[in-house]
Amino acid sequence: MAPNLRPPEVLHSVPEIERALAHIWADATTHRGDGEHHVAARSSVLNLVVVAGRRETAERCAATIEATAGRHPSRSLILSALDDESRPGLDATIRTVAVATAAGGTPQTGAETIYVTVHGQTSHHLASIIVPLLVHDLPVALWWPRDPQFNSHRADRLLPIADRLIVDGSSWSGDGLDRLGAMALVTQGRRLVVADFALLRQARWREALASVYDLPDLRPHLRAIRSITVEFAAPEGGDPTGLTNVVRPVYHVAWLASRLGMSVVEPMRRLPDGRRVAALRQGNHVVAAEWRPVCSDLGEGSTVRVEIASRLSGAELVGEVTAGDRTVEVAIDDKGRERVRRTYLAPRLGEVDLLERALEDSASDSVAAEALAMAGNLIAAEPTPRRAVVGAVERHRSRDHD
Amino acid sequence: MSPTRAPVPPPPARTARQLREATSSARRRHRPDADLNPLRQGLRLERVPDPCSFVLFGATGDLAHRKVIPAIYQLWRTNLLPAEFSIVAVARRPYTDEAFGAEVRASVEANSRVQPVDEAAWAELAKRITYQQLDFGDDAGFDRLSERLDALDAERGTAGNRLFYLATQPSQVTEIVRQLGRVGLDHEMRGSGWRRVVVEKPFGRDYESARRLNHEVAKVFRESQVYRIDHYLGKETVRNLLVFRFGNGIFEPVWNRSYVDHVQITVAESLGVESRGAFYEETGASRDILQNHLLQLMTLVAMEPPSSFHADALRDQKLQVLRAIATPDVEHVRHDVVRGQYGSGWAQGAAAPGYREEPEVDPESETETYVAGRFTIEDWRWSGVPFYLRAGKRLPERTTEIAIQFKEVPLPLFRESTGDPAPNVLAMRIQPDEGIMLRFAAKVPGLGLDVRTVNMDFDYGTSFSVDSPDAYETLILDALLGDASLFTRADEVEAAWAVVTPIIEGWAAMPAPRFPNYAAGTWGPEAADELMERDGRRWRRI
Repeated sequence: MAPNLRPPEVLHSVPEIERALAHIWADATTHRGDGEHHVAARSSVLNLVVVAGRRETAERCAATIEATAGRHPSRSLILSALDDESRPGLDATIRTVAVATAAGGTPQTGAETIYVTVHGQTSHHLASIIVPLLVHDLPVALWWPRDPQFNSHRADRLLPIADRLIVDGSSWSGDGLDRLGAMALVTQGRRLVVADFALLRQARWREALASVYDLPDLRPHLRAIRSITVEFAAPEGGDPTGLTNVVRPVYHVAWLASRLGMSVVEPMRRLPDGRRVAALRQGNHVVAAEWRPVCSDLGEGSTVRVEIASRLSGAELVGEVTAGDRTVEVAIDDKGRERVRRTYLAPRLGEVDLLERALEDSASDSVAAEALAMAGNLIAAEPTPRRAVVGAVERHRSRDHD
Repeated sequence: MSPTRAPVPPPPARTARQLREATSSARRRHRPDADLNPLRQGLRLERVPDPCSFVLFGATGDLAHRKVIPAIYQLWRTNLLPAEFSIVAVARRPYTDEAFGAEVRASVEANSRVQPVDEAAWAELAKRITYQQLDFGDDAGFDRLSERLDALDAERGTAGNRLFYLATQPSQVTEIVRQLGRVGLDHEMRGSGWRRVVVEKPFGRDYESARRLNHEVAKVFRESQVYRIDHYLGKETVRNLLVFRFGNGIFEPVWNRSYVDHVQITVAESLGVESRGAFYEETGASRDILQNHLLQLMTLVAMEPPSSFHADALRDQKLQVLRAIATPDVEHVRHDVVRGQYGSGWAQGAAAPGYREEPEVDPESETETYVAGRFTIEDWRWSGVPFYLRAGKRLPERTTEIAIQFKEVPLPLFRESTGDPAPNVLAMRIQPDEGIMLRFAAKVPGLGLDVRTVNMDFDYGTSFSVDSPDAYETLILDALLGDASLFTRADEVEAAWAVVTPIIEGWAAMPAPRFPNYAAGTWGPEAADELMERDGRRWRRI
């Protein structure tokens, strides 16, 4: 794959952008040596709209998108809204990524990225720029990489355009729960697939857990869970301010609860020692959920360990899942006697992997939607003081850990 | 309410083997939904196989070094194999683990599709490779192999799951399978893990020998344990053919005798027999390509939609096609099947020797290096639609393609146009430059009404610039996962031989053409062109 080397022309209106795109595609039609006239088959698979905000975020997203272009040839629109007092308008450039055939044939346009920086009042009307630039009849993925404002005019205008919303809950400011709750509410009842990197990062944990419970003698225990404990990395091991982002730990419990047919009896609450607890119901027994902050080398909010305890017909199993950079370990003990220990080769996912998964996960897959809905239920009754401090402090967090 | 009918009891099991089959099928039938794992829902397709040992027979051979081991390395590198994994390389030559490790390392460097070799990944995989010298007729050797596998289960946690990959000469398959049965390595007792055997083509050399081979294998392994590899079925574009046909609604309505004029399937190779002269003398193009690759591609084009993508649903439909192919009689063989053998010539800018001048080839050989035939499928969908199949060596280029040519429009309105609109063609290129091409007529811009035929190309290489997995990666992973969809079932093999055996027998009963009858670097004998011309058609220019 090679970038188009023509210097980018700066465009200042949507019609100018449209004309430039038409020229690019006209150039891609070829006449080959066989004397036949070949029409380049455009194989764009989606429109990818990025609401980047800051320029550095836009650049990071662009690099990620370019790395996925081979698998997801798309029209990408990366919008930086300056939201300043300057004259309304936009500056746009187009970058095409041409792909040469393995046999060294004529390169064709494989993907195109339109960078748009909007100024002044125009930044309040992003949808009016996005809609005319979408490739007709292709799905629209809306990637909102930083702190999306779900209860805003911008969200009201952008979300109806999208078929898929891509966010990273683990990068949100504060504990992230306000936004998680808002996202659960705002997406309810919409035909909108939500792909949250925070949940996608846990795919390897889920794969490992699912594989262990494939064993026929362990599977019945999935109907007899008594407690779920998630340990997560927090400052000083205790999360004294309650501002550690806990979106990932919440998703662990939400996914298990939604898959195993649990309902929320008592929503999550934070205890003075930094732990958070909730109560769920599975069948006719109660399942205790606990999120425990611990000291760890991992980035704040990363899951350190998941423990699942079950009791069935005299057997009391404790399943423990931990993960390293390249592996996930699962061990199942029965009253101290090891029943199973498995190691799964599953490296941590980078942002390119996460974006690819976010774009590929099936639109009809209900697992993520049900996990998000369950997360919304779990955090529904958080006390008000927490909300007051959310967003007050922005701290450095690593986004590269589960 | 429908009347309740008492279930008919199955006949009593008479042998241990029948008992195993009866027990396992009963387990499948009565498995309650509650037993399904709810945590599995929504997980990605790349399920990692169970912990297992991969026992590679013929480990020092060409196939193992060029294809099998590089494929395993690639699967390992991309984390698609379990951590609890071991490879037991088995062959007759004496090697230490270290010497064998060094040799396969060199093979991976030479043959891996991703370069350079990932040192860390290779180091981890290399730790899991051991070598066992074994003469396939040596009972004691197989006893030792069995003990070693048990020991590896304990050391590496491979849980008794074993895949036996027979990358050996076809003549050794029966003996290896018999020995595996003798030491009980076929047994899938409850809780002791699964046992599978992968067999490489050719599966016999005619209908009778295929039946005998299937019978010998079935004495030891159940059909569900047997994975017969035709590597063409693992190719990305072949798999995409299923997606293309059954994932798109617009083609199904025209995919039948009402709209399709004919189908051409070509497997062309630009190389000669290279160092495989002795092997090729025993096979020829009919056994090497027609019986398997060509007929498999034909089944995928012609099959009815399966009810699911489960292995047997898919293979049942392919089998229906094979059984519906009109069995060639002597007259059909004489008129509708052409054989050829290349003579010397110029291929791709270089002088090329004739087949009879190749190493290990009889100077009077009557082995065919080219076969072309006209076949029909006697069912409602395809009745009257000819399928033209051709395969050959030393043709002008290496290409595999399936082309569906549609019927001409009922009333040619643009006859006066300067260009003559050609019939629509949908061509699927399997290799190289995998892709799909649609040929249609378009108006040339301007005041007149000139029509020109244009080709719209979809090219995998340019549209998705990611490497497709090698067919062996796909198939080995599927075998480890227990997915037999892309493997050939015993009855499929026999049905394919039922089509090809009469051709081979017919040729044996009639005088051979004057070989060689085509020059290296050309598109085959003239008789093949005449075969098409008799029907008012011509081979596609590829």
